[in-house]
Formats: sequence, structure tokens, C-alpha cells
Amino acid sequence: MDLIGRDIPLIDGKEKATGRMVFTADINRPGMLYGMVLRSPYPHARIVQIDDSRAWKQPGVRAIITGKNRQFPFYSVAGQKVLDEQLLATDKVHFIGDEVAVVAATDRDTAAEALRLIKVEYEQLPPVFDPLSAMADGVPLVHQSQASNIPYRMEFSRGDINEGFAKSEVIVEETFNVGHQYQGYLEPHAAVAECDISGRVTLWLPMQSPTLGRITYAAALGIPENKIRIVQMPIGGGFGGKLEYKLHALCALLAKETGQPVKMVNTRAEDFQAGLPRVPMQIKMKLGVRSDGTLAAKESEIIADSGAYVNYSHGILLSACHRHDNLYRLQNIHTKGYLVYTNKVPTGCFRGFGNPQVHFALESILDMAADRLGMDPAELRLRNATQTGDVTVHGWQVLSCGLSDCINQSTNGAGWQAKRLTEIKPDTKDQVEKKAGQEALQEARYAKGIGLACCLHVSGNRTFLPYFDGASCRITVNEQGMAIVFVGETDLGQGARTTFAQIAAHELGLPITDVMVTLVDTDINPHGLGTFGDRATTLGGNAVRLAAADARRQILAIAAEETGSTAEKLVINDGIITGEAGIRLSLAEIAQLALSQLAGGHICGQGVYIPPDVTAVHPDTKYGNISCSYPFVAQVAEVEVDRWTGRVKVNRIVAAHDVGKVINPLLANGQVDGAVAQGIGYTLMEDMGIANGKVSNKTFSDYNMPRITDMPEIKSILVESNDPNGPYGAKGLAEPALTPTAAAIANAIYNAVGVRITELPVTAEKVFRALKERFGCP
Amino acid sequence: MRQMLKVTVNGYPWEGLVKSDQSLLDFLRDELGLTGAKKGCDGGECGACVVLLDGRAVNSCLIPVLDVNNCEVRTIEGLQDEQTNQLQDAFVSVGAVQCGFCTPGMIVAARALLAEVHNPGEEEIREAMVGHLCRCTGYTRIAAAIKLAASRINPETAGPER
Repeated sequence: MDLIGRDIPLIDGKEKATGRMVFTADINRPGMLYGMVLRSPYPHARIVQIDDSRAWKQPGVRAIITGKNRQFPFYSVAGQKVLDEQLLATDKVHFIGDEVAVVAATDRDTAAEALRLIKVEYEQLPPVFDPLSAMADGVPLVHQSQASNIPYRMEFSRGDINEGFAKSEVIVEETFNVGHQYQGYLEPHAAVAECDISGRVTLWLPMQSPTLGRITYAAALGIPENKIRIVQMPIGGGFGGKLEYKLHALCALLAKETGQPVKMVNTRAEDFQAGLPRVPMQIKMKLGVRSDGTLAAKESEIIADSGAYVNYSHGILLSACHRHDNLYRLQNIHTKGYLVYTNKVPTGCFRGFGNPQVHFALESILDMAADRLGMDPAELRLRNATQTGDVTVHGWQVLSCGLSDCINQSTNGAGWQAKRLTEIKPDTKDQVEKKAGQEALQEARYAKGIGLACCLHVSGNRTFLPYFDGASCRITVNEQGMAIVFVGETDLGQGARTTFAQIAAHELGLPITDVMVTLVDTDINPHGLGTFGDRATTLGGNAVRLAAADARRQILAIAAEETGSTAEKLVINDGIITGEAGIRLSLAEIAQLALSQLAGGHICGQGVYIPPDVTAVHPDTKYGNISCSYPFVAQVAEVEVDRWTGRVKVNRIVAAHDVGKVINPLLANGQVDGAVAQGIGYTLMEDMGIANGKVSNKTFSDYNMPRITDMPEIKSILVESNDPNGPYGAKGLAEPALTPTAAAIANAIYNAVGVRITELPVTAEKVFRALKERFGCP
Repeated sequence: MRQMLKVTVNGYPWEGLVKSDQSLLDFLRDELGLTGAKKGCDGGECGACVVLLDGRAVNSCLIPVLDVNNCEVRTIEGLQDEQTNQLQDAFVSVGAVQCGFCTPGMIVAARALLAEVHNPGEEEIREAMVGHLCRCTGYTRIAAAIKLAASRINPETAGPER
């Protein structure tokens, strides 16, 4: 039964649509307490003393823990070596929102009142907010234990940039700035914890990687990993924001302290001010291009604002520094990257992992070069595009690449040639008003433009983590013939459970309704690093495929013995095993037979997928084939710019994605739509309003995420390059689908009105000012 | 402070003392265990907590619980009629559900819309759903789902393109 390539709706969709799906905040345990966090009101301050005596007098308070009455080990996220975090601030607070104390009480109101009664005496210290200033000598240190405010720096070269620039016809140079972006998942961070008599904690968490959570929280709490069990709850949106989070470990701490179950849920304002938003970057880029359009040399310097802690920002900086170099056949490169501490909200993972930031720079500067050369930007990209079979400048083995197809199909799909204007019409309002008629006025006021941008990503990459980073799966077939899939990768709402069920059903010959996919439980599920880096379908999907094939072999062996046939002559289709001479058995019958044949044992298929020929990058040179597959994207944005106000409206996005092979078009297109929406928000709308270390926009009315009225038409084109490593040829999609949107829109704005905006978000004000500067109008 | 409240929730009468400063959302979730309405922002900005109050779609986080005295409240759990089922099926089948956190509020709001307009057009849907945030789907399928459900419920008035 061929289920690959079919539109299969979410297997847990009805549970969600009826409100029956239980999320973490919906859990109630007997005797459950409510925990809350006291957060720092200052960006940088010494904690002189904490007086919790009045808070303890509040009836219903069960625990108050501070960094002054407890020792906490230094830790960071799994595998990151600069240990700069503690569960609660001990001597200093490092940002507005830093965790100072936690309280557990019988209900939320009591906990909130107790927080109010804790008196903390602070001595304010000079803060650093600007990463460029924070890099200088003699500035205040965010972390006293560090020698500087630069926990990570990197530098690498390929080829010879001097020679490359010397042979260039045009050299373009620009500085780009991209700010914080909040993940904006609808479910705020939440945790429920319970501790048993032996001191072992169970945590119910909406978490992308329970495996990494267990490693990190054991370190944070100073207890062995086997004292933590993480049960994954449904994730109400993740987008990278639901990896390790301090609230989880604080909830465990309170459960251990009180011996009672504890629930903690961020308010939305807490989630804004102490979440882990996208890493802001300043990107200086210089690009040399030969007269024939060949990319000749590139020099970059990236300064990434980590905020108060490193978290995953070192990996995000590395990704920003080197992944985009593999998009085109560019041989001469020199790159420097710096990760810088500031007294601001710590930053972290968000869909794209550094790639949206750097592709905004790269894909903008490519258009600037094309403009100087008088070349069509699509043509420039096609001339340099990486191709199937290439080994890139950083040693990436590109086994499948649909980049050129994506460029051709997205531009053709958008009517690129016809729509691309070649002249800028800088009419002022006065000039326009002199022309007769309202129509002419409107025509000159609203300018249409079209822009293209490309990107790539990894899918199933070798991380910096020392752990096994393939994927494993176990499939048991129960006595009723139902297959139950256990895998280490999580469903964030993107539909991983459905995809895994689809793959298992396809391999086993079962109707998809006879397949269940469990949520991850670290006591039960096989090892997996979880869902990030576009790894779930590529790695997890391969593990499910292998486990299902193993289970199938076991089923057919039992059937062959029962029927006197041989396994090779039997087929399973729609849950029925058939063979020659009228053999016909249901899978449920075989499952029953298995009980006796296997002496009570279950049919249990195992699958382990190890991505082939993949290595971590070299620590110094950053060389190495880091992923088993690489997805490619081209997006075309069509915009309308109001010359008089600077307002930009996106009319349409045509998005072509090389996904290797489409396993489920319904879900794949859903990823494109959602990612493009986030990309439009990133480009035009979303601003956390961080000034002097303070997040000003911490409600959904102030932080402007796209609503239904903000969405243009999205035309999705899925390109199949059939990757040899992907399951059925498939590779990742969700992250690169956001990456090129910002540059595509910025390039379209340039095409429409002739101004180049180099800072995100592209607000109406910025466009207006740029128009005024360039044309002296309106 | 606690005060008496008399309310009908999902067809069942309820009477008792409630915290006077509590929101309808907290009352439904914490006192009645009706967790289908979600707390996404607690400020009336995301729509995840929408319930029907005397048939109108409201953000339950903004309603003081004492304001619903003698009213009828219907949550996603209490909506099991044909129209709601059609909406739920359509949301799932066209891919308007991803993580599902915003979905119950969307279904309730869409149910209220269809009670007023048999076959809403794009603009009517956008207007009705503008208060609902979804970070997963990009919204395009949400409008499609509502149109599909409407056309199945009211095929006689559905436009040809639906």
C-alpha cells in the first residue's frame, strides 16, 4: 500500500480541534502546588541580600528558594562548554528577567503574593547593551568568571580572497543589522514536576528534545541523569524555542523541595522578557563578482549579540558564519565571527538557526552586485548555484540539489520576466499631483516590485554534541495487531507523529488508523536527540522505516511458519497477509500467533539510522561534511510599496522548496505557509522594542505578529531532487522555508522603489526615510 | 473575596462561590476543569480562550466571572453539534490545525460566525478571525477550512468556487 506522497491529515488533528488534547498547563495532579519566579528588574546588579521572611508568613507558601540560601552548579545547554548559568542568580543578575527566586504555594494568587513580599536589595552595576561596545577592553564584564565579553570567536579562510577581489569587476560592501525575533508560540513555557520518595523527578514538559533536557537539567540541579524522567507533552508551537528552558529545572527543584507536584507556567510577559529569542546580528559583508557573473570572493564579519548567556548562540553564530557559503560555487572566503555577551535577554534557537540572519545579508548583497553588473538577479544566482554532486568549499557533499530548479520554477511561477521593472520612477507627490487624474496619482503612489532570494539548510546534521546523533526507533505490534511506534524525535505540531505513522503504515502494509505514535518518554522511548535542525523526518523517518521493515520481517516469518509458506512469497496489504494457494491471514491473527510462537514475546522491530559520511566540523577550520542531506529553496516576493508612507504590502510569495521527496504534501505545504508567515513578520512587523535592556513590546498587541489580515497569497512549489540518504528521498523543509523571505521582500522593495533597506524589521518609517534620502521625496 | 455565581455551562446549571476577581477563563479551567479554552496571553490578544457567552464569541480571559451570572456559557467541550463537527473535520482535513493550541478558540469563533453568516466570504472570515493568533499555519488554510465547512453545512447557498 503506497502511502508515500499522499495527503494524510494529522492523526491527532481531531483531538486538537475538539479541545481534548491535554497540554502541560491543563495537567492537574493531586496536591499540586503552583510555582512562580521572581525576576530581576535590573539589567546588571549585585544582589546584596534577600529577605524572604515576610513571604514565608503568607499562608499557603510551601517553598521559597533563592541563590542566597542554596548552592547551584554552573551549567549550560547540553554540550556547550562555557558554563555561565545557574538556576538562580547567586551574586549578580545579568538581564531584566533573570531568575532570582522561586516560590511554591497552594495556588497561583498566593505564589504571586509571596513573590511581592520577597525583598531583594540590589546594587546596580554599569550595564553593557551594545555588542560592539561590549567587545572593547575595559568595559564592564557581564560574567566576572570570563576574561572578556566574547565567549566565542571564530575565523576561517578558503582560497585567496585577495586574488578573488583583484579579478572582480564589481565589489559591493554593506553592513546589515537584524534584531531579536520572538518565537511567538501560542503556548507559553510550562512545566509540571513530581518527585518520588527516592528523589527521582518526573517532568511533564512541552519539549522538543527530552533527551537534551535530561542531560541539561541533571547538570543544573547537580543530580545524576537517571534521577530525571522527562515525559513529553504536546507542544503548542516550538519553532526552536522549546528546547532547554530554565523554568523546567526550577519546577523540578520545587518538586524536590516540597515533595509535592508543582506546576509552573510563564505569563506571556515573562515569556517575552525571559524567553530565548532569535540572535540579533550585525553582518558586514563584502562581495566581489567577475564581469561574467562568477562570484569571486567574499569577506564577512559577524557580530552576534548573545544576550546574558551563551545558550545555543555559539552554534547559531557558527551556522551564520559558514552554512551560506555552500549555497553557491564560491571558492575564496574569509570570515570572522564573534559572540558577545550583553545585559539583555539571552537568545537562542529559532527556525533557521542563524541562517535567516545571514541570508538576509548574502541575498541582499547578491542583488546589489547584480544591479551593478546590470545582470538579472536570477541569472546571477543560476550561474553560481551549487549542483548535485558538488563538494562545496567547506567540504559538504551535496548528494541532491534542486537549487537551479527552485530558482527557475519560482521565477516562472511568479511571472518574473514580465513583472520585473527596469526603471525607478522617482515622482514626488507634487509632480504626481500635477498630472491629471486620480488614476495616475494612484499609479505613481503605489509601486510594485518583485524580488528573489535563495537559501539552503542542513537536514540531519552532525551537531556539536558528543552524543549519538542518528536516530533510533522501536515498533511493537500488540496482540490486536496494532503497531505502536516509539521514536526519540518529537512532534511540535508540524505533524511528525503523522509522518512517522505514515512511514510505519507504508512499510508494514497497515491502514494508518492501526498505527499509534507515542509522545517521547525518556524511560520508554529509544534514544533520539529530538526535533531541531530539520532532522525529524530525515533521521527519525529513516529510523521508523528501518524499524517497520524489521517488524515486517518478523511478522512474515511467523506467517510463513504458520502457513507453511516462505516469507518472500507473502505480502501484507491493508492489514491482511496473502500468499499463494489462498493464504489469507489478518495481522491481528499473526499478532495472536506471535504470542505463542515467541513464548509471550511481542513482535518488536528495531531501527537505528546512522547518517553516512557525516562529521562534525573541524574545530578550527570549520571544514567537514556536516549533514547527510541539504535542502535548497528559492522564494519570490511580490510587493507593493506606498511611496508616500513607506508602507510595504506583500501581495504574493511564490516559494519553491527542494524537499527531496514529498512524503505528505498537505503537511509539507503547511510548513511552507507557516514559515513564510513568520518570515513576513520577521521582515516587516516584529520588533521586541528592546532599549536599555528592557523588552518594551511584551504583549501581542505591542509585538506585532502576522494576523489573518496580514497574509498574502502563498504559492508553494515542491521540487523533488530525490536525496539518496533521505527516507524515500526526502529531506527537511521547516527551517529553510523561513530563511530567504526577508531578503526576497527587501529585494522586491528595491525593485519597486529603488531603496535598499539593510536593517530588519523593514518598517514603513525606514522605507520612508530611505525614499526621502534617495529621491528627496515625497 | 468569594461571591455567589449562578451560571449554565455547556447546558448544565452550576451554582457556588467563586473568587470575585477571577476571570471566566480561570473559572472554567481551574474550577470546572474545562481546559479546552487555552490561556495564550491572558489579555484578550490571541483568541485561544474564546467561548460562547449567550451565543456570542468572547475572550473569556477578559470577562470577570461574576459578569456571567445567570448567563449561558458554551465551551469547545460543549459544542458537539453538526456545525461544530463539520468545522472540526474541515480544519483537520485541509491542514488548518498544526500544534492545535489556538484551534479550540478558532473553532468556537468560526462556529459563532457560521451561526450568523451561512456562507461567509474571505473578507467576513478575515474580520471574524482577526483576533485569533496562529503561529503555525500562516492562516491561509483556516479561511479555507471555514469555507469548506460552510459549504458542507449549507450547500444550497454555497458559491460555485467553494
